[in-house]
Parts: sequence; C-alpha cells; structure tokens
Amino acid sequence: MKVLFFHLMPYADLDLDYQKKYRTDWVILPNTYFDPQKGHALYNRYLDELELAAELGFDGVSVNEHHQNAYGLMPSPVVTASALARRVKTAKIAILGNAFGLRDNPLTLAEEHAMIDVITGGRLISGMVRGIGAEYYSMGANPAYSHERFHEAHDLVVQAWTKPGPFSFEGKHYRFEYVNVWPRPYQQPHPPIWCPSLGSGETVDWASAKERRYVYIQNFSPVASVIRYLNLYRQTAERLHGYTASSDQIGWAAPIYVAETDAKAREEAKIHIERLFSKYLNLPFEMMFPPGYLSINSLKAMRAIKRPAIAGGTMTIDHLIDAGIFLCGSPDTVRELLVGAHKKLGFQNFLANLHFATLPRDLTEKNLRLFAREVMPALQALTDKEWQGMEVAAAE
Amino acid sequence: MNETFVEVRGAKLFLRRDGAGEPLLFLHGVQGLPGWTDVLAKLAERFTVIAPDHPGFGHSDTPDWIDDVGDLAFFYLDVLGALANGRVHIVGHSLGGWIAMAMAIRSTAQIQSLTLIDAAGISVNGVKRGDMFIGSPAETGKLLFAGEDVATRWAGLWQSSDEMKEIYDKNRAAAAKYTWQPRLYDPQLARWLHRIDVPTHIVWGEGDFLIPPAHGEELQRLIPGATLTRIAGIGHLGDIEAPSAFAEAIVPFIAGLKP
Repeated sequence: MKVLFFHLMPYADLDLDYQKKYRTDWVILPNTYFDPQKGHALYNRYLDELELAAELGFDGVSVNEHHQNAYGLMPSPVVTASALARRVKTAKIAILGNAFGLRDNPLTLAEEHAMIDVITGGRLISGMVRGIGAEYYSMGANPAYSHERFHEAHDLVVQAWTKPGPFSFEGKHYRFEYVNVWPRPYQQPHPPIWCPSLGSGETVDWASAKERRYVYIQNFSPVASVIRYLNLYRQTAERLHGYTASSDQIGWAAPIYVAETDAKAREEAKIHIERLFSKYLNLPFEMMFPPGYLSINSLKAMRAIKRPAIAGGTMTIDHLIDAGIFLCGSPDTVRELLVGAHKKLGFQNFLANLHFATLPRDLTEKNLRLFAREVMPALQALTDKEWQGMEVAAAE
Repeated sequence: MNETFVEVRGAKLFLRRDGAGEPLLFLHGVQGLPGWTDVLAKLAERFTVIAPDHPGFGHSDTPDWIDDVGDLAFFYLDVLGALANGRVHIVGHSLGGWIAMAMAIRSTAQIQSLTLIDAAGISVNGVKRGDMFIGSPAETGKLLFAGEDVATRWAGLWQSSDEMKEIYDKNRAAAAKYTWQPRLYDPQLARWLHRIDVPTHIVWGEGDFLIPPAHGEELQRLIPGATLTRIAGIGHLGDIEAPSAFAEAIVPFIAGLKP
C-alpha cells in the first residue's frame, strides 16, 4: 500500500469566537480574520511538516484547493506543491485536487501541473475535483454548470497533455484556437489522475470507466461509506465497464491521531478534531450544496439525511471514532483498524490527515513520527495477498 | 383555469391560462410560480392571462439549448408566434422582467406593452443586490418580503408536498443557471434598452432588498417614455405579499392603453 501524508493547512490561529458574529468560516468570514504574520509562520510550519513526512518515508505528500475560508489556506495548491517540488526528493507530490472546471481557463492549471511534473521528474499526482459548493460562491462559477464544466475541463486538459499541439478545442464552455501546452508532462501519457470524493456514485462511475481507470479516494467519511464506495468502484468496473479494477485504483483518506495509548490519543486529539468539524468545516446547507451543484435526485437524497455527515454541528470525538470518520488511538489500535479495513477492502492507497484544525506543532510532529514508525510500515507491506477478495465481500 | 403543455421547438412548456379579454403574458420571477396565484386570478378578471413555467422551472422541460436569458428571450418570441394570440401585453416580474426586456430589444412585433415589476437584468453602480442563494430560507425570506409572516407562509408553501419540494429545488437550479454569474444581470442589456418602442410601465416594491428600487429608477432612465410606480410596504415578491395592491398597480396602465 502507498501511504501519503495529506495536509489541509487550516488557519489554526482563527479567532474561534467568530461564530458569535458570522455563521460560517467560509466565503463570508472577513479576511481581516487572517493575520499575515501568523499566516507566514503557519505556511512555513506546514511545509516543514510535509517535508518531514517525506523524510520519514511516506510515499507521498498531498495538498488541496479551497477558497476564501479558514479551513484550508491553499486557494492554489500549485503554489504549495511547487514549494515542495525541490525539497521533497523522492516522494510523490499529490494535488488532491485542483478544481479545473472552476477556472475560466483550465489550461493554466494544465501548464502548471505539467511544469511540476517535469521539474520533479514525474512525481506529480494530479487530482481533479469539482470543488465543494462554497467554491461556486467564492469563484463566481455557476453551480448549474458544475458537472458539465468538470467533464469538459478534464477532456481539454487530458487532450492538452496527450495530443500533439497545436490543436483547437471547441467545447460548450471552453474554446481555444491554440492548445499547445509547453512543457508536456514528464509522465506519459500524463500524470496519474486521482478523484477524491465525499461519496458519489456518479464520480465512481466516471472515474472507473475503462478508458480512464482513475484512482478514486473516499475522503472524510464514515467507514460505512468507505466500504460502500470502494466496493462500488470494483463492482462498477466489473459489471458496467467490463474489466477487473486493480486495488491501486482505490484509496481512503481520513484524519488520524496516534499516541502512546488509546486514552492519551483521545485526550490529546479531542479538542482539535472536534474543532475541525464544529469550527472549520462549518458549512451551512445552502453553501455546501448551491442550486444545481447536485442533480435533483442527489439533492433529494441529501435533504433526507437532513444534515450532511461531515458538515458543521457538534460532533464529539466519541461519535467521530465510533463512526470510523476519525482513526484515533495507540499505534496498535490504529494499525489493527487499518489492516482490518484493508483485509475487507483491499485498497492500495491511504491518505493520512495527521494534522487537523488547531493541532499544535509538537503534537503534529509526534503524530507524524509515531505513525511513520509504528503504523506505516505494516501498511506499506500490504498487498492483494492480504485482501479477502470481492467474493467474500459480496457474500457478507 | 386551464393547464396545458405547449410544445415549441421540441421543448414542452407548461402554461396556465384563464380569463377573457386582451392577451397578457405573465413571466414569473426567479422564485418560480407556486401555482395560480391571487394576482393571476385578479388579472384574469380583465385579460386573457397566460402564465408559463419558464424552461427549467416548474413543470416545464429543461432543454439543453437554453442556457441564458438571451436564449429564453428568443424562445419566448417563438412561443408567442406559436400561440398566435396577436400582440400581447407582457407583465414580467423579477427574472420575468429581464426576459421581457430581452425580448423587446430583439423585437416588439408581437408585444403591445411591457410591465416590468422588480425586474432583474441591469446593475446600478453602487447599489448592492441581495444574494437569494447563500442564505438560509429565513434569511432569503427577508430579502424577498417586507413582512415576516408572509415570508414564513411562502417558505411553508414550498414544503407543503413532495411535489412542491421537488419543484422548489428544480426552480432554484434553473434560477442559478440563468442568474448566478453575473448575478441577476446582463452587462449588455442596458446598452440596448433604448430600442424598446412599446409603452412601458415599471413597478417596484419599496421594500425590495433583492433588487433595490434604484434599479427601477435606472430602468426608467434607460427605457424611452417609461413610467414608474412605487408601492410602499412590499418587497420583491409583491404578487405574493400584497396581491390586491399589486394588481391595482398593474391593471390601469394596461387597460388605459389604446389598442
């Protein structure tokens, strides 16, 4: 299994009383809440943590994109990935993801990804996402065209990476007389494309198509959803697309905290992981799902849940651990959990969010080192031999 | 009241129709039509009222060749041709006012008059419009109505059945498609409003926080010969909030026109 360290880079110095005046830390929270001096220290600390992860033997380090919020300070993950490109010597650098369809010109991202890929000698993993609903407010992109633009931007970018230029592209949303991206990507035909998702049958169907076979990552979800969607990927590949998906095509991303004992892990992580959900991922329904962002049927399903599983509210650490959203405990506990999940699901990619919300520097580094020493080697040794196989999963 | 579908260029459009007299096309706003409203009933006492659900809204189809208000304008000109009612009075509310203007700058051959109510379509320097998408239903209610009780009733109406809930989501998605970016206006519309050569009456609720009344004044400046009536104490959805006052503001202008 490949294990990556995934950093969200939150604004840890956020005034946590902001909710007295603002109902969310996304889009409408004034940027006067951001102190550039503190931001300077945070960015450099977070980049140090990513570099440390690479030194500790993680297979990759990962960054992502969010706009106008305190949850993640990477409106351009290309900037953070570029800052890592020469300091991280051998590990993969994963941008999970960039929202190509949010851009009026996705070719600028295609160029930037190609540059990083060439600079790193082919160590870029290119994530493609639609961006969450709030992004459509902050980027002025029409959510009603979110699916269309995602697919069209994808087609444009993959063609730009693979088809000899110059050529012209005439889509509904994107039209270019000259597509001729210099540099071409180092990896051929193009950098691996990963699709992180909060759980979507449509994304699974699209990513698993025979001509794409993109890596699907189930992100920030109750373990029940992880089981559902990772198995769905294999089933969709088999039944709908007519091939057997490899275990390298699926993965799981989750916040993790390990400490010397289960009790100590809970004690140290509690306040920070609860803040991740109550203070940072504090997204009202209308911002999470602007009109048109979901199909009418998906929206209906989402309304039925009342509150999406991940957003806002006061989720306790006990609930988060019980639901399998947060993996927390001693190295033995967390290792057993992950090895057990792998036995069931066989995923060959795991993204560990070893920093979240306000987790301070010392605890983050301890978490990173302990995970890397006590948990990660057992995961990296896992192959399809340790997976129970689909037949057993289907029989359960 | 008669409900039918009319098929125009392959798209099925849902129409409500009632009354007698000169034909009046009522173009609804960004929120969509919850049904045959009191205002439509009042207008039908005097005119033959035709009230469609716009493409993408209500019971109408969502054709993939209608992307924006410009497309809607050409489509409705085709609809008028298909209905063959002769020249019609158009009453356009909110998004419907924007569509009415976009139709009229293209052709007034089938249009007798325009009544523009709390119309979207233009931007006024320094005047901020509200965001009907980002807020909770309660916050959005404050943008749309001057009064609170009516806002609560309105929100409840859309939750009153599974069908209404579904139409609510469908309407919001269509509203986003047509009005999200640029929000509630077309930067090119204002420069062509001088082409409108039919009698035009602008009506505005003084308590409209979604599209504040300054937009009405600007439209009056841009549309040759337009008159402006302000209604105190009602918001963006005046047709729901004060149907009588709303109808009284609309009818005399149209009825007073010489055919």
